[in-house]
Amino acid sequence: MSAYLVNLGTLVAIFGILAASLNVLIGYGGIFSIAHAVFFGVGAYAGAQAAMLVSPDVLLCCACGAVAAGAASLALAIPALRVRGEYLVAASLGLQMLAVTVFTSGGQVTGGMGGLVGIPGPTLLGIDVSGPLPFLGVCGAALLGTLVLVGVLMRGSFGRGLTALRDSESAAEAFGKDVRVLKALAVALGCALAGVAGTLFAFGQQFVNVETFTLEQSTLLMAMVIIGGAGTLAGPVAGAALLMLLPALLTFLPFVPPTEIGAVQQGIYGLLMVLLMLFRPAGIMGLATGRRVS
Amino acid sequence: MLVLQLLFSGVQTGLIYALTAAGFALIFGATRIFHVAHGATFAIAGYAFVAVQPGYGWAAGCLVALLLAVLFGVGMERLVYRPIARHEASFFTVFVAAFGASVVVQSLIEVGFGRSFTSISTPLTRAVAVVPGLYVAPVLGIAAVVAVVMLGLVAGLLARTRVGLGLRALASNPELLRVFGLSSRRLSMLAFAVGSALAVPGAVLTAMTSGLTPSISAHVMLISLAATVVGGIGSLPGAVVAGLLLGVTENLAVAVLDTQWSEAAGFVLLFVFIVFKPRGLFGSALAVGGTR
Repeated sequence: MSAYLVNLGTLVAIFGILAASLNVLIGYGGIFSIAHAVFFGVGAYAGAQAAMLVSPDVLLCCACGAVAAGAASLALAIPALRVRGEYLVAASLGLQMLAVTVFTSGGQVTGGMGGLVGIPGPTLLGIDVSGPLPFLGVCGAALLGTLVLVGVLMRGSFGRGLTALRDSESAAEAFGKDVRVLKALAVALGCALAGVAGTLFAFGQQFVNVETFTLEQSTLLMAMVIIGGAGTLAGPVAGAALLMLLPALLTFLPFVPPTEIGAVQQGIYGLLMVLLMLFRPAGIMGLATGRRVS
Repeated sequence: MLVLQLLFSGVQTGLIYALTAAGFALIFGATRIFHVAHGATFAIAGYAFVAVQPGYGWAAGCLVALLLAVLFGVGMERLVYRPIARHEASFFTVFVAAFGASVVVQSLIEVGFGRSFTSISTPLTRAVAVVPGLYVAPVLGIAAVVAVVMLGLVAGLLARTRVGLGLRALASNPELLRVFGLSSRRLSMLAFAVGSALAVPGAVLTAMTSGLTPSISAHVMLISLAATVVGGIGSLPGAVVAGLLLGVTENLAVAVLDTQWSEAAGFVLLFVFIVFKPRGLFGSALAVGGTR
């Protein structure tokens, strides 16, 4: 039981990082991407390869994952600089579909459909942290680090420029903000953090394959941010915790057959998304005024 | 000969895409609502047909599919989009709500019908050699006739009737429409009804040919989106042409690339359009730069 809880905690921490990183794009930047699982995936593959080929050091591998995902973020930044709204949603959906194909046919790099197996246990500066509890510590620290980084950056000039741009692009430009640089940096930051989460995920599962990086995952990540509250620091993490604990809670309900838990979970978060948009567009942790700034 | 064969199956897929995308484009054109739950409409119609046809026959199957599709489309407008528009009509809020609704539909279908393929097999889909080496199923002809008839009807409705005039007016200036004493609420419900009905033939044909899975709603949503963007947002002919183009591209891609790239080819097309020609084939310049 406790092993199960530790495992769940690790997953909540990893998805907390993912939700917080997507929040940089959606919540602060107004860059509406449904392709976040792509960067999660790029980070996971890059981190796993680094662990297998170079060294299973968490810091090194996370850096590799972040750099790879940050570089891949150009694929999202280019359309984000040119279009917004419906067009950007369409572009990110297209990117998501393309990426799944690339992951599936990636040969040695991604292991194709079978994925990458035999990822070694993580070490931290030479100390073995592959046990469930030490690894939970690593993931928790990474989540904390992510929140501090996002919190500090979003309170600073970068974050204020970004929110200004979200609220009115032309006004931000008139105040001398470089819209292109701000957007590209926000995309790079969000995606690089997703890459870190991907690497941690690869270490945690010791196995990655394309099933984890599909449109369903991107939808789930979006739901976490929206349900928790886009544009707030704690909201996405709360959303991540809620949606990750949901399947676990559902197993306690006797009338839900175990094979249908995935579908029921989807149904619940879909419904939550609809109801929140109808009655509380700011999300659970959003400002109590009920009006979302957008 | 392979290319010709692929071209034929591409046209068949493309016709289905064109009809579905036309429904999406009609709704978007008239109401400015980005109805991403259109894919869910498609899935509902398809599965309704699969559930009813074996027991009650073709006509009943198509009728129930049509009824449920229209009911869902109009229901979304009444229960989700309109209440949201009342307090805040940001693109983001509408999009998330619609996306959530289609996630719910997908999970309901998964619970009700299982996660695997479902299809209706008929002699109509059995391919016949037209000339040696070229196989065409009668269903292609049906798809072509249905597509031409349906699109002709919608084009006629928009161009020649008072209601069509109202729909076009709704697209260009809803305030003026109200000044004229027409009901924008009734017209937007009509747009949703007609748009959703346009998804039905595609859904029925897909149930007969390639089969349905619960995740088809996401696929159809993507195709409708892609066709609408490539064709030019708000343009009905654009969506039709782009739908055909996407279907043909997907199938012709098989001639040069691996089969798993066939779907991706369509999205490469989408991506290229968004980056280099976001206006699409027939779109107006206004659509892109506007602040939403």
